[in-house]
Amino acid sequence: MSAGELATPFRQRAGGAMKDAFLQEALTIATTKFIGLRREAFEGFPEGEALRDQARAIKEATLQQLDRHLETLIGNVERLGGHVHYAATPAEARSIIVDIARRTGAKMAVKSKSMATEEIHLNEALKEAGITPVETDLGEYIIQLAHERPSHIIAPAIHKTKGQVAELFSRELKRPAEADPEALTRIARGELREKFLQAELGITGANFAVADTGTVVLVTNEGNGRMVTSLPRVHVAVIGVEKVVPSLTDLMVFLAILAKSATGQKLSVYTSLIQGPRRAGEFEGPEEFHLVLLDGGRIAQIGGPLREALSCLRCGACLNVCPVYRQIGGHAYGYTYPGPIGILLTAMLEGAPAVKDLAHASTLCGACVDACPVRIDIPRMLIDLRREVDEKRIAPWTERVAFKLLARLLQHPPLYRFAARAGRVLQRPFASDGRISRLPLFFGEWTRTRDLPLVAPRTFQERWASDKDLRT
Amino acid sequence: MTTKAEFLGRIREQMQRTPGRFAASSAKRPEHPAAEAETIRRELAERWPETLDAFRREFESVGGVFHKVASVDAVPAVVSRIAREHEARELVAWHSAALGADLGPALAARGLDVHQMPDAEPIGVAERERLRAIAARADLGLTGVDLAIAETGTLVLVSGAGRPRSTSLLPPCHIAVFDRTALVESLRQVGVVLEAWHGDGAAPAAGAVINFITGPSRTADIELTLALGVHGPKEVHAIFVEQGIGG
Amino acid sequence: MTGRRASLMVTCLGDLFFPEVGISIVRLLRKLGVAVDVPADQTCCGLPLFNSGYHSEAAAVARRTVTLFGDSQHVVVPSGSCAWMVKHEYPGLLAEAGLEREAEKLAARTYEFSQFLVGVLGVTEFTSAVPGRVTYHDSCHLLRGLHESQSPRTLLGKLRGAELVPLPGADECCGFGGSFAVRLPEVSSQILAKKVANVEATGADCLVACDAGCLMQMGGGLTRKKSRVRALHLAELLDGDR
Repeated sequence: MSAGELATPFRQRAGGAMKDAFLQEALTIATTKFIGLRREAFEGFPEGEALRDQARAIKEATLQQLDRHLETLIGNVERLGGHVHYAATPAEARSIIVDIARRTGAKMAVKSKSMATEEIHLNEALKEAGITPVETDLGEYIIQLAHERPSHIIAPAIHKTKGQVAELFSRELKRPAEADPEALTRIARGELREKFLQAELGITGANFAVADTGTVVLVTNEGNGRMVTSLPRVHVAVIGVEKVVPSLTDLMVFLAILAKSATGQKLSVYTSLIQGPRRAGEFEGPEEFHLVLLDGGRIAQIGGPLREALSCLRCGACLNVCPVYRQIGGHAYGYTYPGPIGILLTAMLEGAPAVKDLAHASTLCGACVDACPVRIDIPRMLIDLRREVDEKRIAPWTERVAFKLLARLLQHPPLYRFAARAGRVLQRPFASDGRISRLPLFFGEWTRTRDLPLVAPRTFQERWASDKDLRT
Repeated sequence: MTTKAEFLGRIREQMQRTPGRFAASSAKRPEHPAAEAETIRRELAERWPETLDAFRREFESVGGVFHKVASVDAVPAVVSRIAREHEARELVAWHSAALGADLGPALAARGLDVHQMPDAEPIGVAERERLRAIAARADLGLTGVDLAIAETGTLVLVSGAGRPRSTSLLPPCHIAVFDRTALVESLRQVGVVLEAWHGDGAAPAAGAVINFITGPSRTADIELTLALGVHGPKEVHAIFVEQGIGG
Repeated sequence: MTGRRASLMVTCLGDLFFPEVGISIVRLLRKLGVAVDVPADQTCCGLPLFNSGYHSEAAAVARRTVTLFGDSQHVVVPSGSCAWMVKHEYPGLLAEAGLEREAEKLAARTYEFSQFLVGVLGVTEFTSAVPGRVTYHDSCHLLRGLHESQSPRTLLGKLRGAELVPLPGADECCGFGGSFAVRLPEVSSQILAKKVANVEATGADCLVACDAGCLMQMGGGLTRKKSRVRALHLAELLDGDR
């Protein structure tokens, strides 16, 4: 039963997610496991805290010289025979990539997991242009077959049980599939191996782009990232401008903390440093390398209130610890990026009105900052977003009036005291057993599941004012 | 279409708007990477047994299988034992110049079907496709190792002539042969070495990719249950040659 | 008397809903030789306005508070979230009004209750008002905002007549989050249900926290379930020698 006509679409999606028993179990297991793995990894890693500070400082320093570092990166990529493209908007990025795909005559593109390509909705554009995109990361492959979007930044299919995956494989691949992760993995390996070997085009994102050397860095576990960047003739990497780091020395600082934050591993299985197309002497590797630099709202935040969010390493640690994400999962957020950082990224990419409800999808508990490898102060920026939503009058007028009234009350003690006396009177019909278990209208949002204490017969200040034995 | 000038111009415009509120500094780069890398090498030469022990621990903890032999002549026996365990025969290998030793004959003598990768760029698409098919069919892939990182149990392989990427990627079993000269202790030291390679072009090979390999391919995408050998190898073996590989 | 003076910042929730907490604090501090005063006409620290983004209104309330506590030697606050607001947000909020210095001075003199007992007074041994097992929940602002997880545990660990048992997920949010509790009540309630399950699994008689918001949320969930576990503020529990 959704709660009332005033419920927002987000609240309805959240409610639906909490009634999905499979999802609830999957979320509890996955997030609890990730939290434990991350904790263990950092417990055995005393240098970790200093490295996190260092990583944050590097990101900030890079932003302060971003144009210079990008110039260096571009120069190096071109020197190595690669091509650089500039996409101001998702539409432009799609158009650039589809153009490249058309020119290569590709019928099929194999993709390694890339949130940037999810963000720009690349797959639909490729399909429309007659090119079949094939997701090769197991989790992405699963959701592609299911026609869904990722529900977690690093484990896209975490909302699915093995039974659901088996059923999906049986249906879509027209072959029997056992509900066993290893058996399902073997099926995916077999299905995708052929695609890797046949595809003319490989599309990836990148975790980092090293300016000094023109290197793009892929951090993966399955091997599909290596396949996609070694076997097809053309490689396209799409990255947000904030992915650039100045040098290889800087890169090592991030590598030391990224996998630990995401999955508790010291390093992911494959970290690939790719410097342009294949070189003389190599018979494997792409002949063409294209780097697409994506703005999509990031550049405006260099000088904007969400600047700190540009440091995000896309590790997903904040999702795993967020009390809200843990209850509702990724799809309920309704946008490409879920969880705490997802709310900020959505504001960055879609504007403040898009997050008028999501900005409040947080208890401001701060668990995300604790877990973030680069210590992004997400709660602070959520409060700033709430402020923007209020000041731009995007919040409903009823809410704004209520808060202005509250503000008035809190600045005028006589009004405050009057409100207390009024509360005492108004609560009488609802009071029983020393508490309130039922309230009408909006206040019922609390009492549906929780009791409320009564406004005290005498407030503390009233007692202090009148009880002499209290004062001495 | 947005031009480079427009793109960077927009960035510069935004950069003017804020000087940045937080502590900011890039990592301190080595001033003389080649010299520092040499120092690291010298110091490690003295404590390689401890480094090897640490490497073995980490490598095994990520699911790698470690072997130690006295000399490079003992390597083929280990490889053929692994092949027998897999009931496998087809092996694809880096070129002997890249491996540092010519193991082909000894491996063939033990009944393995050895395909050594060429170290000159083959002419023509047909030849490239033939080589790719071999790698895709092979049961075992034999490579050398450029760096073995003790901190994380990682094998670092640089691509290039005679050392294609697919050897350590397509076959379900990857066997890597190394000696004490590859050992490094930490990611920080790796950073110095990478800077040195980049700075004076003294990398082990001139290919476009440097792959860090930490154990067999894995995923936990289904119910966070671990499954190995998703797309890359299901098994990774590291054979340490105590007396050193090459001459 | 020790010559120490403390002003009680009772907080809006404390004043209206939990006056017993304020009374326990006054009694406890007095017994420890601290002269206690309560500046008149207190309302709120402004956190509810701040968290929902009404910053100029929050600043106006902050300004009032800074003036009200201008003469205090120490300011003692029963809620971690209110103490955090004063210590961390007031200086920034009041910068525009030119009152940053005054706000910083107030921040430096403000303490959450358990921090005041352990860190300032150095007193850690009390008698429990409720005998039996107690378990402790870390309020988010106290834990992550004020970096305080030890003082309450020290006090509870040394409490005569009570046994402290650990709460699984003690550092996990209770789901209150201020207006969050009524903006996303289903999510808030599910978070609460998990917290209540953890609390009941400890076998404790009493759940202790240092924040009125957390106590409203968790207490409300426990009584709705007719749980035998009582939710109490730390001060009420320490006030055993009556």
